[in-house]
Amino acid sequence: MKKQRKFLVGGGTVAALVGYLMFTGMKDSMVYYHTPTELIAKTTQDPTYSDVGVKVGGRVVPGSVHFDQRSLDLRFTIVDIENAQTQFPVHYNGPLPDTFQEGRDVVIEGKMAATGTFEASTVLTKCGSRYEAGAEAYES
Amino acid sequence: MTQIGEVALWVALAISIWGMGSAFVGGYTRRGDLVLSAERTIIAVFGLLVSCGAIIASFLRNEYVYQYVAGYSNRELSLFYKTTGLWAGQTGSLVFWALLLALFSAITVVQNRTRNREFMPYVTGTLLTVIAFFLVVIVFASNPFKLLPFAPADGRGLNPQLQNYWMTIHPPTLYLGFTAFTIPFSFAIAALMTGRLDTRWITTTRRWTLLAWFFLTCGIIFGMMWAYVELGWGGYWFWDPVENASLLPWLTGTAFLHSVMIQEKRGMLKAWNLFLIIGTFLLSIFATFLTRSGLIESVHSFAQNLTIAWIFLGFLSAGTLVSAGLLWWRRDRLQPESQIESWISREAAFLGNNLLFVGAMFAVLWGTIFPLISEGFLGQKITVGPPFFNRVNIPIGLMLLALLGIGPIIAWRKASSRNLVRNFTVPVLVCLVIGLSMWVGGVRHPQALLTFALGAFVMATITIEFYKGARARAGIEGEGYAKALVSLVDRNRRRYGGYIVHVGLVLTFMGFAGQAYDAEETVVLQPGESMEISSPFGHTYRLTYQDMSWYTAKNMTKLISSLRVEKDGRPAGLLTAEQRAYKQREEMSSEVGIKHAWNEDLYLILAGVDPLTAIRYQIIVMFMLLSAATVAATTTSSLAQRAVFDPGAHRLRDHPTPT
Repeated sequence: MKKQRKFLVGGGTVAALVGYLMFTGMKDSMVYYHTPTELIAKTTQDPTYSDVGVKVGGRVVPGSVHFDQRSLDLRFTIVDIENAQTQFPVHYNGPLPDTFQEGRDVVIEGKMAATGTFEASTVLTKCGSRYEAGAEAYES
Repeated sequence: MTQIGEVALWVALAISIWGMGSAFVGGYTRRGDLVLSAERTIIAVFGLLVSCGAIIASFLRNEYVYQYVAGYSNRELSLFYKTTGLWAGQTGSLVFWALLLALFSAITVVQNRTRNREFMPYVTGTLLTVIAFFLVVIVFASNPFKLLPFAPADGRGLNPQLQNYWMTIHPPTLYLGFTAFTIPFSFAIAALMTGRLDTRWITTTRRWTLLAWFFLTCGIIFGMMWAYVELGWGGYWFWDPVENASLLPWLTGTAFLHSVMIQEKRGMLKAWNLFLIIGTFLLSIFATFLTRSGLIESVHSFAQNLTIAWIFLGFLSAGTLVSAGLLWWRRDRLQPESQIESWISREAAFLGNNLLFVGAMFAVLWGTIFPLISEGFLGQKITVGPPFFNRVNIPIGLMLLALLGIGPIIAWRKASSRNLVRNFTVPVLVCLVIGLSMWVGGVRHPQALLTFALGAFVMATITIEFYKGARARAGIEGEGYAKALVSLVDRNRRRYGGYIVHVGLVLTFMGFAGQAYDAEETVVLQPGESMEISSPFGHTYRLTYQDMSWYTAKNMTKLISSLRVEKDGRPAGLLTAEQRAYKQREEMSSEVGIKHAWNEDLYLILAGVDPLTAIRYQIIVMFMLLSAATVAATTTSSLAQRAVFDPGAHRLRDHPTPT
C-alpha cells in the first residue's frame, strides 16, 4: 500500500475539492419540485415559502391562455394533474416556448407572489414526445 | 412481411445465447471447437440487419399498425425522416444499438482470427452477453414490432424538433461511440479472466478506443449543434439530464485515453485503467437507457414501463459486481511496476488529469440523478439546475486546462529545475502577457480572463512542441519546415494528433468563456424599422426588418420574416427567422436565423408576430468558437482513421506474445 500513497493522497485531495464544490453548489441551486396542491399547502403555512424559487409541474387549463405578442406577456392558469380543484394563475414574460399549448403538461419555475399569481422565470413544456412518442395516447 | 423482423430478433437472441455459453465454456475448458462455434455465432448480426431492414421498410410502407411506426411517422413525413425513423425513438434505437455492436463484434472476431487467441473466447463471450442483453430488452420490454389493437389511418408524425439534420446524425454518431467502447471493455474482461494483465489488452484495442472517443465527441458536438439551431434559446448546453448522460462516458473515456499512456510507459495504474474502461462501458449503457427512457423526469411518470428499468438496472448491477469481483480476484497481478516519484512529474500531471475527469463525472452523475434520489429516499423531489453544474465544473475545467499545458512538456519521473526553466519560461510569459493585456483591455470577468490566459499558455506549449519537432526534422532530414511539419505529424500521429485535439479543446473552452460577453436584446420592429447591436469584438450590426411571408409546404405552414443585415455599415445580406406550424401535431416550432463569422454568431429568434405585423426578435451576438473545435476534431479523425484502417500499421505494432 505504501507504493500507492501518492495516488491516495491525490485522490483524497481531488475528492475533497469536488465534494466541497458539490456541497456549496447544491446549497446554491437546489430547487424544490412540487405539484400545485403541495405548493398551495406550503405557501398557506408559510407565505414566504417560495421566495427562494420552486418548480411546479402541472397542466395548462384549456381556454386560459392569453399571450400578448407585443409585450410578450403570457398568462395562463395551471391545474394540478391529479387534483382539478387546485388551480392558480401564472404570469411569464418572454417568447412563447415552442411546444407550449393548452392542455399540455408544463414545468414552471419561479415564485408565488403575494397576489396569488405565480411569477414564472421559466416555462418548460414537458415534451415526453421528444424521447417517447407517448405510446399511451394509443394504448388508453 | 415485415413481421419477419420480429422472427429475426428471436433467432438472433437464441444464437447469441448459445454463443455466449459456448464461448465461456470453451474458454474455460480450452475446447477449440466450442470457441470457434461461438465466434461463428457473430452471424447473429444478420438477424439484426434483417430486423432493422424490416423496421425501415415498415416506416416506408406506412404500416401504422405498428405502435412504433405510428408514434414516429405519418404519411406526410419526408422519405429521409422515415428512413431515419429507425433511431427516432427508444424502441428502434435499441435495435440499432444492438446492430452496431454486432457489426463491431464481427469486425473484432475477423481481425483476431489468428491473433490474441487466448483472449478471444472471453472477448467473444463478453460481446455476445451484451448483444444478448440488448436483445432481451428489445424482445421482452421494448418490441419495435408491437402491434396496435387497430391500424390507424395515419401516424402521429415526428416531433418537429427532431426534424433537423443534426438530430438525425446525432444519435447514430453517439451510438457508434457507445458501442465501440464495448470492444476495449471486452478485452479488459478477457485480460482479467485470463490473468494476462500486461499492456496487451490496451495496445490491441487502442484503435477502437480512439474510434469510440472520436464518435462520442462528434456525437456530443452534433447534439450541441442541434440544440443551438433548433431549440431556439441561444445556447448549446443546458445541463439537461439527456446531455449529461452522454457526457458521463466521455469524461471517463477521456481519462482512460490518457491513463493508458502511463501504464504503457511506466507500468502504473493497472487497476485504475481497468476501472476506467469498465466504468466507461457501464456509463455508456446507463446513458443509452437514460436518454431514451425519460426516467429522469420522474420515477412516477416512468412507472408505466418499469420492466425495462429493472432489466437495465439488473444488468448494470450485475456488470458492476462481476467486474468488481474480477478486479478483486486478480488484485495480486495488478501491482504497479513502479511508483510516482515526485509531484512534479508527468505521471503526477496525468494522474491529476484523471482524478479531475473522474471527479467531474461523479459530480455530473450526482446532479443528474439527484431528483430521483431525493424523490426515492426523501419523498421530496429536489432538482439542481445549471448553476450547480457550472459551479462544480468550471473550476475543474480550468484546472484541466492548466494540466493540458503542463502534462505534455513536464519531464517523466521527476522534473529537474532545469527542465522546468527550459520548458516553461516562454509559455508562462505568454500566459502572463496575454492575461495582463486582456485585463488592461477591459476583460474583467474572472473565469473568462483565466480561461483566455490559460488558453494562451496551452497554445504556446503546443506551438513550441510543433516548432521543436519540425526544426529537428528539418535539421536531420534536410526537409523544408512545411514538409517537416507534415511528416512530423504523420510519423507520430499519437502525439501530434493529441496536440491538435488539445488545440480544439482550448478553442472550445474560449468559446464557453466568451459567453460571459454575449450581447442580447429583445426588440419589436415595424416593417422598415431597424435596430443596432454591438458585438463583443466591437462590430456593430444593424438590422432592418423588411417583410414577412407565408409559405405552405407539404406538412407545415411557414411564417418567414426577413431582415437586412449590415455589419459595420457594410451590407451583409439577408437573415431570415421562421415560425413553423406543423399540421399533424398542431405544434409551433421556431427556426432561428444565424449569421456565422469565424469568431462570432448573430443569432435571431422570431419571438412573436402580432396582427399589426410588428415582429419581435430576440437578438444575440455570441462569441462562438465551437466551429473551430469541430475542425480540429475532424482533422484528428482523419489522422486516427488512417491508423485504424491501415493494415500495415496494424502489423507493425502488433506485439509479439510474451511468455
